[in-house]
Amino acid sequence: MASASLAIADADLLAQLQQGSEAAFCTLVTCYQQRVYSTAFSLLRSAEEAEDVAQEVFVEVYQTVARFRGDTALSTWLYRLATSRALQHRRRANAKKRFAYFTSLLGFHNQVLHEPPDHAHPLALLEGEQQLRLLLDRITRLPSQQQVAFTLRHEQDLSYEEIAAVLDTTVGAVESLLFRARQTLRKHLSPSARHD
Amino acid sequence: MTNQANSPGSDQAWEELLQQLHKQPKAQPQPFFYARVHARLTAQAQPAGRWLPTWARRPAYVALLGLLVLVVSGDGIALHPAATSQYTNYPASLPASSLPR
Repeated sequence: MASASLAIADADLLAQLQQGSEAAFCTLVTCYQQRVYSTAFSLLRSAEEAEDVAQEVFVEVYQTVARFRGDTALSTWLYRLATSRALQHRRRANAKKRFAYFTSLLGFHNQVLHEPPDHAHPLALLEGEQQLRLLLDRITRLPSQQQVAFTLRHEQDLSYEEIAAVLDTTVGAVESLLFRARQTLRKHLSPSARHD
Repeated sequence: MTNQANSPGSDQAWEELLQQLHKQPKAQPQPFFYARVHARLTAQAQPAGRWLPTWARRPAYVALLGLLVLVVSGDGIALHPAATSQYTNYPASLPASSLPR
């Protein structure tokens, strides 16, 4: 019942947005800014980059909403934009980092730009906060689709159906992505893997 | 060392870790987020100078382009009047046979 009324409210909001209402756009940003921002933050782990991506998403919504046909829920569209823009942002950042590393190897700059090695003793990474830190670090190293599925499930609390809609795939495929993500993470977080 | 039950390899520890992840406070944007989005939209919507490519809006490139146009159009000679004629540097008292042919 609640989801039905939410869908009606979203449909109204969408109709107003398509008519160019600025008040409707303000409402949309207010309603969804937290979800869009935290999704981007979960994928990028940087407040500055998450802010940039979240702004980019809403600007894109404003510019393209007239062409949105409403074949998915508004929230699905926003999650889709947030995840794809965040991954795009990360790819660009990684390419820049690789280029900077290459130029640092050639001695164009004097600063060292490669990732510093983690010297934390394995025994210090065993429990609580540090275990979580290690998990967050490992999540960022998952393949893109697995990372998105895992983040939407365990941090954004989306259902399998909602994740499938965001990724434009089937529920079975989402289950498979999550299974592989969990397996990889557990393998890397087990003490024997860390001691290697 | 921790025992095996507390390591993420065990189901219980893994579930606890996922719970911990889930209970983390959600990241929030800084206040006045809408104002910043609005400012970005306004900045992107400004049409002034949009018909020019980005590089053409840099003064250094415009100056260089102007200089290039001057040089190619032949006005470069007017800018360097010293290099007009090879005969002007020879005194009139010299015999015509000593002038270069």
